[in-house]
Amino acid sequence: MIDLKDKKILVTGGGGFLGGHVIRALLAHGAQEKDITVPREGEYDLRKEEDCTRAAEGQHLVIHLAAKVGGIGFNQTNPGELFYDNMIMGARVVHAAHRAGVEKILLLGTICAYPKFTTVPFKEENLWNGYPEETNAPYGLAKKALLTIAEAYRAQYHLDAIYLLPVNLYGPGDTFDERKSHVIPALIRKIADAKKKGDNAIEAWGTGRATREFLYVEDAAEGIVSALLRYDKSDPVNLGSGMEISIKDLVGLICRLMDYQGKIRWDATKPDGQPRRRLDVSRAEREFGFRAKTDFEGGLAKTIAWYHASLAS
Amino acid sequence: MIDLKGKKILITGGAGFLGSHIVRVLVGRGVSESLIVVPRFETHDLRKRSACEAMVDGVQLVVHAAGTTGDAEFHRDHPAEIIHDNLVMGVELMDAARRAGAEKFVAIGSATEYPENAPLPYREENLWTGAVASSHAPYTIAKKMLLVQGQAYRAQYGFNAVHLLLTNMYGPGSETRKGFVITNIIRRILGAQREGKAYIEVWGTGQATRDFLYVADAAEGVVQALEAYDDASPVNLGSGWEISIRELTELIARLMGFEGEIRWDKEKPEGPPRRMLDITKAERAFGFSPKTTLAEGLKATIAWHVANSQ
Repeated sequence: MIDLKDKKILVTGGGGFLGGHVIRALLAHGAQEKDITVPREGEYDLRKEEDCTRAAEGQHLVIHLAAKVGGIGFNQTNPGELFYDNMIMGARVVHAAHRAGVEKILLLGTICAYPKFTTVPFKEENLWNGYPEETNAPYGLAKKALLTIAEAYRAQYHLDAIYLLPVNLYGPGDTFDERKSHVIPALIRKIADAKKKGDNAIEAWGTGRATREFLYVEDAAEGIVSALLRYDKSDPVNLGSGMEISIKDLVGLICRLMDYQGKIRWDATKPDGQPRRRLDVSRAEREFGFRAKTDFEGGLAKTIAWYHASLAS
Repeated sequence: MIDLKGKKILITGGAGFLGSHIVRVLVGRGVSESLIVVPRFETHDLRKRSACEAMVDGVQLVVHAAGTTGDAEFHRDHPAEIIHDNLVMGVELMDAARRAGAEKFVAIGSATEYPENAPLPYREENLWTGAVASSHAPYTIAKKMLLVQGQAYRAQYGFNAVHLLLTNMYGPGSETRKGFVITNIIRRILGAQREGKAYIEVWGTGQATRDFLYVADAAEGVVQALEAYDDASPVNLGSGWEISIRELTELIARLMGFEGEIRWDKEKPEGPPRRMLDITKAERAFGFSPKTTLAEGLKATIAWHVANSQ
C-alpha cells in the first residue's frame, strides 16, 4: 500500500467534475495540497508532447482523468475530435510519465469501451468481444486503447500502470451545459427550466427503455484513490455501483424529487444509445476493497440541491 | 476515380519493403518522381507533430505505410515502443493531413487486426468480434485505432480516410523483415547449400496454412484503392488462396534445387492453424486482382536473396 504523504501527484483533469472530488479524496488519504499538481488548460495542452513532459517532471504518481467527453448529441457530431483528443492525450501522458520515471500511473477508461451487446452485468474479460455502441465508439475505443498501452508499458518498462472502467458518473459539480451534459444533469436542468417557465411537459430523448448504471462521483473518487493505493495489476477493473435503472424510471424519480408533475414526451426519433448498462463490480471489491456507499436517491437529491445552489450563487 | 498525375503524394515508409513497391507503381502510373515525397527517419521523426506537419505541407494524397514492427522476439521485447511509435505517428499524421487539407489518406493496416476467433476466411465485417492475439496486440491495436480515427474523421470532417488490411507479403527486398516465413525458409536453404548440409529445420508441423501476397501485387492494390476506393469500411488485400507451410517449403526447396531433408520441429510454435483473407470486397470495389503466381513470385524472391546474400 502506497503512503501518499510526501508523494508528488499529477492529476490531469483535476479541475473537472470528477477531478475535484479525486483531489478531495487524495487529501483525505494523506496527500498534501502543495504536492498535488493540476495542469490547467491554458498552461498545458496535454495533446502536446512537450506539455506532457513538463507536467510529468518530478512526479511520483499520475492520475490521468483528463478527457474530452459529452452526451450522445455531442458524441454524434464530434467523433473526430473525441477520438483525437483522448487518444493522443493518453498516449503522450503515459509516455511522459514513463520518461519521467513515475512510480505509478492510473488511467481512466470508460464504460463506453464495452461492446454494444455483451452479457449483463458487464465483465472485464468480455471487454474486447464486440464493437461498442456506434454513437460513442470513437471515444470508447480511444479510451480502450489506453488499456493496451498500459499493458505494453508494464511489460516493457515495468511501469505500474493500472486501468479502471468507471460507469456513468453523477453528482455535485457535474456539467449542466446543454451541449455536453449527460442524462442526469440534462434532465435536472430541463425540469428546472420547465418549472420556471410553467411548462406542463418536457421532452426526453429516445424511448426510455434503455437502462443505465450510475455511480455517485464521491464514490468514484474514493474507488480511484483506493485503486491507486492498493491495486498493482494490468487487468482492467470496473468501477460501478452495481445498480441499474431504466431511463423511464430515472425520469420519474427525478420528477418526483424535483416535485414536477408535467408530462414526459418521448422523442423516439432520437437515439437511446446502448440498450443496457450494468457492470459486474466484484473485481474492484476483491482487489482493492471498493464498494459504492451512496444510495441512488440520496445522491440524486444532493445533485439537485447543488444545481439549485449553483443557480442561486 | 482520382487521376494521380499532377498530385503531390506522401508515402511514409516509402523506402521500406511495401513502400518502395508503391513508389514504383505510382511512377508506372505516370506520377512524376518529383511529386512523390518519401520522409526519411533521420530528418523527419513522424512521432513529432512538427515533422508530420512539415511532411503533409502541400500534399494532396497520403499513403501511410510506415510502421515499427519486427519478428516475434521484437514484439515480445518492445511492446511499449511498438504501440507508442505506431499510434502517435499514425494519429498525428492523419490529423496533420486533415488540417492541411489533404484530399485522401490511405492507412496500411494488417491482417493481424482480426480477432483470434474470427471465422475463416477473414471477412471485413468480423473485425471486432473478439480480442486480437496478445503477442501482437500493441502493434495491432495501434493500427486498428487508425481505422477508428479515419471513420471518425470521415463522419465529422468528411475526410476521405481509407483503411486497408494486408496479409503476409513476400517478394524481393524482404530481408529487412526478419521472421517472415518465406524469407526464413529461403535463408535456411541457402545456408544449408553453402555449408553442404543435407537437411534444413523448419518450425512447427508444417500443417498451418497461410495466405501470401506478392509485394508488387500488394502495391498495385494499394494504388488502386488510392485511385478508386472512397469508403469508411476497411478492405482486405490478400492473395485469395492459402497454402500449408509444408507445401510451401517443398515448393521453395524444388525451386532452389534443394534435395535435402526437411525436418519439422514439432515442439516449436507455428502460430494460428489457418489464416486467410477473403478478397471479394477488394475485387468488387476497385478491381483488385493479384497477378503473380506463387511460383513466379518465389523465383523472383529467391533470385533477390541469392544476389543479396553474403
